[in-house]
Amino acid sequence: MRMNSRWLRAARPYGIAAAFLAAAMLISALVGAADLNPLATVSALLDRLGFIRLPSGLSPLDRAVLFEIRLPRIVLCALVGGLLSIAGAGYQGVFRNPLVDSGMLGASAGAGLGATLAIVYLGGAGPSAVPVAAFAGSVGGVAVAYLTGAAGGRGTATLLLAGVAVGMFLTAVQTFVLQRSAQDLQAVYSWLLGSLSGATWQQCGEILPYSAVSTAVVLLHGRHLDVLSVGDEEARALGIRPGRTRLIVVAACALAAASAVAVSGLIGFVGIIVPHVVRRLAGTSYRLVLPLSMLAGAGFLVLADTLARTVLSPAELPIGVVTALIGSPVFIWILHTTRAVRT
Amino acid sequence: MNAIVVHDLEVDLDRAPILREVSCAVGSGGWLALLGPNGSGKTTLLRAIAGLIPYRGTVTLDGPAAEAGSLRPRERARLIAYVPQAPTLPPDMTVTDYVLLGRTPHLSYLAGPGRADRDGAARAAGLLDVARLGERRLDTLSGGERQRVVLARALAQEPRILLLDEPTSALDIGHQQSVLDLVDTLRRSTGVTVVTTLHDLTTAGQYAHELVLLNAGRVEAAGPATAVLTEDRIAQVYAARVTVSTDAAGNTVVTPVRATPR
Amino acid sequence: MNRTGWMLAAVTAAALLAGCSSANSSSAAGSPATSSSDSTAPSFPVTLAASPGPVTIKAKPGRIVSLSSTATEDLYAVGAGPQVVAVDDESDYPANAPVTKLSGLTPSLEAIAKYKPALVIASQNSNGLVSGLGKLGVAVLIEPAAATLTGAYDQIMQIGQATGHAQQAGRTVAAMKSEIAADVKQARESHKGLTYYWELSSNPYYSATSSTFIGQIVSLFGLKNIADAADKASDGGYPELSEEYIVTARPQIIFLADNQPADGGQSLAIVAKRPGWSVIPAVKDHEIIALNDDIASRWGPRLPQLVAQIAQAVEKVPGS
Repeated sequence: MRMNSRWLRAARPYGIAAAFLAAAMLISALVGAADLNPLATVSALLDRLGFIRLPSGLSPLDRAVLFEIRLPRIVLCALVGGLLSIAGAGYQGVFRNPLVDSGMLGASAGAGLGATLAIVYLGGAGPSAVPVAAFAGSVGGVAVAYLTGAAGGRGTATLLLAGVAVGMFLTAVQTFVLQRSAQDLQAVYSWLLGSLSGATWQQCGEILPYSAVSTAVVLLHGRHLDVLSVGDEEARALGIRPGRTRLIVVAACALAAASAVAVSGLIGFVGIIVPHVVRRLAGTSYRLVLPLSMLAGAGFLVLADTLARTVLSPAELPIGVVTALIGSPVFIWILHTTRAVRT
Repeated sequence: MNAIVVHDLEVDLDRAPILREVSCAVGSGGWLALLGPNGSGKTTLLRAIAGLIPYRGTVTLDGPAAEAGSLRPRERARLIAYVPQAPTLPPDMTVTDYVLLGRTPHLSYLAGPGRADRDGAARAAGLLDVARLGERRLDTLSGGERQRVVLARALAQEPRILLLDEPTSALDIGHQQSVLDLVDTLRRSTGVTVVTTLHDLTTAGQYAHELVLLNAGRVEAAGPATAVLTEDRIAQVYAARVTVSTDAAGNTVVTPVRATPR
Repeated sequence: MNRTGWMLAAVTAAALLAGCSSANSSSAAGSPATSSSDSTAPSFPVTLAASPGPVTIKAKPGRIVSLSSTATEDLYAVGAGPQVVAVDDESDYPANAPVTKLSGLTPSLEAIAKYKPALVIASQNSNGLVSGLGKLGVAVLIEPAAATLTGAYDQIMQIGQATGHAQQAGRTVAAMKSEIAADVKQARESHKGLTYYWELSSNPYYSATSSTFIGQIVSLFGLKNIADAADKASDGGYPELSEEYIVTARPQIIFLADNQPADGGQSLAIVAKRPGWSVIPAVKDHEIIALNDDIASRWGPRLPQLVAQIAQAVEKVPGS
């Protein structure tokens, strides 16, 4: 009996976060520029589950809109939101610093440079070149930052500073390249602003393996991040290797962030704010913060994208704008209504 | 059997020589107190024994020549619990979670704490009388409560060797005594070896049966309190005026002397 | 006449018209199958060569959505107006086109789907337009900015074929060609070799070289573009020029493509006041032409108007 109630208590935050995500996805499935009938949409979704047979009130075109355009976008949003949040939370744990974002260590700057180079010089290679280049740039940026930062001596401050320097350098290169070819400006900036329109099931499938591996690795190191919070020396005295843990978690977070950025462009705010909100509501243990951030971030981005594509329909707001516009007031409200957390 | 044997230890930090030709030993289940003025290298010696800094010379642990430096971190952490002088206490962590950190060396890489670990941590917290603080956050505790919480974490490690750097500096005289008594009881019942730095010379003499007096990185004297704590030596090493006497129980008592009367 | 008589007359007339247009309908970009010379041959299904891949249109599209202002003009010029159900927010010509809030730059797939189109024409494949709408069974034709005049004609022909108006497309193109030829002929002989500067923006001064679409049109008149010498490969035909360069080159004509307030609001008066520019022959002789930005930035059926405007400007220049 006692075991059961303790288990239930422990599972409660996960239940709430999962319910939040499910609700967000359902709401998102019901609204959109195509004005699908909500009731018909619900029955079409249930019908798809296989063990339920329901006549769907949707026309073939509407069904195609729901299953080929809207749903892949929702699922991709959830994936990207989860990846960015867990990467941000992981970095915050590794660096013991609340101001760290999923784009740190040159991840965003590298992705931006990769995408810019692809758009400017490989325009003919087709739209598939950009995600690959962004992914490679993102991972490459983190690798360079890590190598230069870890070489400069141990310690997280050095690593962070190296990341800042590498990021600034890559951004400068990107600006230079862009400035020389002004006709690509629009294409590059629309990519940089981040967008999930044009999402396909194929994209979801492509980033799924990277998402699974990277999030699994980060989640498994939640306990290690908690130990790291007492500082490198005490952590070593407790038996873990801080340098190795940092390397593994940074690599996994970099992979997660790169996968997200490759399909969605640069979406800020999610990786830094969602973990904070989760900490306020559920405590600071990374064993909880990591998985909850993933679920909450997924739901948050799904909601943000829903707004982005319905508020000014049929025009679409860039999703990075929505995350900031919505996220900031929500974050401030949470700051006021929950206890202070000094992470 | 000697739990710790230090032989010809030399340590440099930032290229400055900190310890030179340091040799000492403590038997299994014994209590060694490191004494010395500020900057004499007590903390450095402790850290070297804990395997946290590079050193030259040998530090042998627990009999069958386990060289401290060659142990893997997890093995070493199961053997040694190290409590620094100013531990880092994450402000928002709860006491329970913090003490539970002590179980880290006993958990496999991917595992989380199990029932046995929680019980062990709870036991350690109970011993230090911090169990009732369970859900409190670390930044809401008093200095004394914090120090006891840190000790609870060390005990949760179930170590064979306890290295404590100034474990009672923030405690009032009552808590100081109860903590030291507790450590002593543990030592006697479980056979854990204790190495502490203590700045109070009399307290050191009361609890430790082996003292090592460091001065400028070298061993000035080693042995029981009666041998190490002499007025001349204290005057020379600490530049302090004291009188040394023996109380009824046979403990050495060091009393400071004012130069000019009031 | 009885009913048979009317039908015979109609068929004869159609055959005559078809016969005329077959003489000058250039084959649109590599499309096989349909020959507009025989009006009774089935014109659907038709496969058109386009990017990113060939597009097959199974039947005459009854509902067309245009996300490109040039494509909108093309559609109406070839007679497909009645089939158009929605055009993007930038399509302002012709005035009776059904303008919506759809965006050509950032199209929303769902919003487009709401119009249940059979065919969508856009100028770029953004947001996965082709594959996304393809999943809904909608054909998407990408007609990007033309690089040459021939390319512009080909697009009109292709749009004609795609919408079942191949014949009228041919007629439109023929008319465009003859108008342009006439204007060019008139102005060219007496004014070959004039130098010109085509201004896209001021401060920084971006220009278009003769390798661009617009530059090629001006080259029909034999004019020399001062930006050609400054063009580097990375500029893609749109180099940034310094003021010194422009003044030193002393162009005899200046074309302003940035005279709309939204583009910079340049005008003859403003240009004349630019310090140091008064030595330029174009300024001294008031040979500064403000173009209709819409016409100058599109590659559709109103090109003859642009050519006429340029021809007018060229003829005004005192004989060279």
